[in-house]
Amino acid sequence: MEQDNKRDNNHIPFNEDNYTHNIRKNNERKLDRRGFMKTLVGAAGIFAVSTLPWGTLAAKELTGLKNKSYQPLKITDINALQVGDAVEFSYPGEHDSALLIRLGENEYKAYQNACTHLKCPVFWSKEKDEMVCPCHHGIFDARTGIPTAGPPKRPLPEILLSKEQGAIYAIGVKRYET
Amino acid sequence: MKRSYLGVALLCAVFFCNIFFTQKAVNAYYFEHYRMVIIYACCNLLLFPLAVWIYIRERDVQ
Repeated sequence: MEQDNKRDNNHIPFNEDNYTHNIRKNNERKLDRRGFMKTLVGAAGIFAVSTLPWGTLAAKELTGLKNKSYQPLKITDINALQVGDAVEFSYPGEHDSALLIRLGENEYKAYQNACTHLKCPVFWSKEKDEMVCPCHHGIFDARTGIPTAGPPKRPLPEILLSKEQGAIYAIGVKRYET
Repeated sequence: MKRSYLGVALLCAVFFCNIFFTQKAVNAYYFEHYRMVIIYACCNLLLFPLAVWIYIRERDVQ
């Protein structure tokens, strides 16, 4: 290739009169050493840019921008709630109905009880030990919130609880992972 | 002219590191090790100027 260039450059004007001296492109697709290095530098740039979104997402997680803060809310006194019973409340807003279930002596679970199928309110069925949506018979596992039967496919959003001075408080809504 | 393939070898190493760091960053993200993600992403970012420097050095020698 180098020799080709030299020959052309040494004969100006070229000793052809048909102006077709530049149609020979035998080597145009040849990847020489420098071209290869340029490609690798470009690849390094692309890799650098491609990790930026991951970095920003991670930074977002670290700075806690994605975690919303919620006002704590007293749901009920522990004495007022027997094991196996449930109480309805609304959290975080007054229209976000939710359900607190006392599953064991020290086991409490709370979910926003709008069914993930068509938003019907889900009820706690003590006899069957599961949460039931009456509209289309969706069944949710009370321990995890995961649907076990019926049309709903996504779990119920869980509410974080804390126990203070003989009462149960709602302190937040678990981030929803689909 | 005597060619040096040192630059090619170094850039290949840089390329390998790029693949390595990208893979590690994505993995760390899914395992929620967010600090590691940022470290790997920074490594990847730093590799680009390094690659440019290797290329320019090689070019100017010729």
